[in-house]
Amino acid sequence: MRRISAIASTTFTELIRLKLFYAVCAIGLLLIGGSVFFARFSFQEEFQILKDISLGTITIFSSLLAIIATANLIPRDVEDRTAYAILAKAVPRKDYIIGKLLGAIGLIALSVLMMSALFFAILALRENAVLNALQQSPASSPQDMAATIATIHHAASWQLVAPATLMIFLRSAVIAALTLFVSTFATSNAFTIVVMMMVYLVAQLEPIAREYWLQARTAGVAARSFLALVAIAFPDLQALDFGDAVASGIVLAAPLILKAAMLALFYVVLYALLSIASFSGREL
Amino acid sequence: MSEIAVRTANLTKIYRTDFRRKPRVAVRDLNLEIRAGEIFGLLGPNGSGKSTTLKMILNLAFPTRGTVEIFGKTSSAAASRAGVGFLPENAYFYKFLTGEETLFFHGKLGGLRGAQLRDRVRELIELVGLNDARSARLSTYSKGMLQRIGLAQSLVHRPRLVVLDEPTASVDPAGSRDICNLIARLKANGTTVLLSSHLLTQVEEICDRIAILDRGELVRAGTVAEITESRRRTELVIENAPDALLAQLQAQIQNSTATLVTKRPARTSLEEVFLAATNRPVDERK
Repeated sequence: MRRISAIASTTFTELIRLKLFYAVCAIGLLLIGGSVFFARFSFQEEFQILKDISLGTITIFSSLLAIIATANLIPRDVEDRTAYAILAKAVPRKDYIIGKLLGAIGLIALSVLMMSALFFAILALRENAVLNALQQSPASSPQDMAATIATIHHAASWQLVAPATLMIFLRSAVIAALTLFVSTFATSNAFTIVVMMMVYLVAQLEPIAREYWLQARTAGVAARSFLALVAIAFPDLQALDFGDAVASGIVLAAPLILKAAMLALFYVVLYALLSIASFSGREL
Repeated sequence: MSEIAVRTANLTKIYRTDFRRKPRVAVRDLNLEIRAGEIFGLLGPNGSGKSTTLKMILNLAFPTRGTVEIFGKTSSAAASRAGVGFLPENAYFYKFLTGEETLFFHGKLGGLRGAQLRDRVRELIELVGLNDARSARLSTYSKGMLQRIGLAQSLVHRPRLVVLDEPTASVDPAGSRDICNLIARLKANGTTVLLSSHLLTQVEEICDRIAILDRGELVRAGTVAEITESRRRTELVIENAPDALLAQLQAQIQNSTATLVTKRPARTSLEEVFLAATNRPVDERK
């Protein structure tokens, strides 16, 4: 366990000292911060746009970070022969893989946390601003006023949005785990990134493929086999994406979040095991 | 009988390339026994299989056939490497870490922690002469400094076996001398050292036993004295020989009045043996 934690903390240090991390986070924070200036017609629309843009930004940038930061972890260690000195000690390859993955997940957690914190702060600021504006132009009746205030609280509630950001983190952790797996057999960093970009696109379409596979009665054996392969091989990223639902004001039920979190955990463990199997058979 | 630190039995590595090319034999049926506490040198020209052998010993590459044991345990088990330190050739290590952080990291991997780890890191930083650069990132280190921090990381957990791949590469003569002295000190402390090197004079000076590999095969092995001994030549050390006698010495020495002080096998340099062993045509070895 100590070895895993040493590798994880060093990997985390490596990643947060990358300029890429600051660049990605800076652009993400800029987009989230800038969303406050977008045109608005009503407070409902304002909060929806704010949530749409912010959750979309966190999703894209944490996914990007998961792919780019993780893709080079193992290839660089092998190329620089740092992995030799590590694995020549009593460090099982599984510990090395788990440590690397945890370090990458730590980086994703930090980036999601930073972007979410800014997002929640903006939500709180805009909520105050809208409430102040409401005080200055009171509604017709106290009942209407109370209803409007409740609607504002609901629309700007960070507690209702937080599960979606948690799922973004878990979704990015799945992407990082899959990237790590690809990097264990990839011949270059560019190969891993290109493959992962393709996987990302396919994984977005995965639910459609699965639905088609399960429901199509007329599809041929070849088509059904191919769709089955896609459905099994690629993670269902749509099942882990609650951004649109939360932005439109839907409250996520706890069992749904738990189920999605379990699915994400399943994918992370699956890809970690595949990475261990692949890297254990790899010669350095 | 002394304990065996490393034992290889019929160790063979064949790299399979694509189907159009012939498989390449990197190491063939290598049988080695490295005794605990000795300094063992692995020599050979580029491509002779030295690095592949070291990698197989450390489980970084997997034998096609044959076995490797480290202190009696199969090297594929991580536990067998608990007492092993390795300095790879031209290793870079993490550039974003400082020298001190690098040793803390490798010390933790070696199972050290707390005050024990702090003391060991301090001791090693002193030992390899990087006191002034302890807090500098490795990205600012010269090649020689990187080699020294690499050597320190291989020793941080006080291994029983240290494997050094070209330990004096990229190091200036003074640094190279320091590393040789350090290796000698490791032996004095009972540590087994397995090293590969191209610097034959150094190997001759510090190694107890050596093995020479050529095109994946073991061509010579033994103590430095055994290997450098020439069976076809004799050295005569003569005292009080008249000048006239010296001219005819080769033919007349048996019947001369000169005194034969010692008679012993003549020595040739390790470099000569190495070149002779590795430059022979393949047919000659069969």
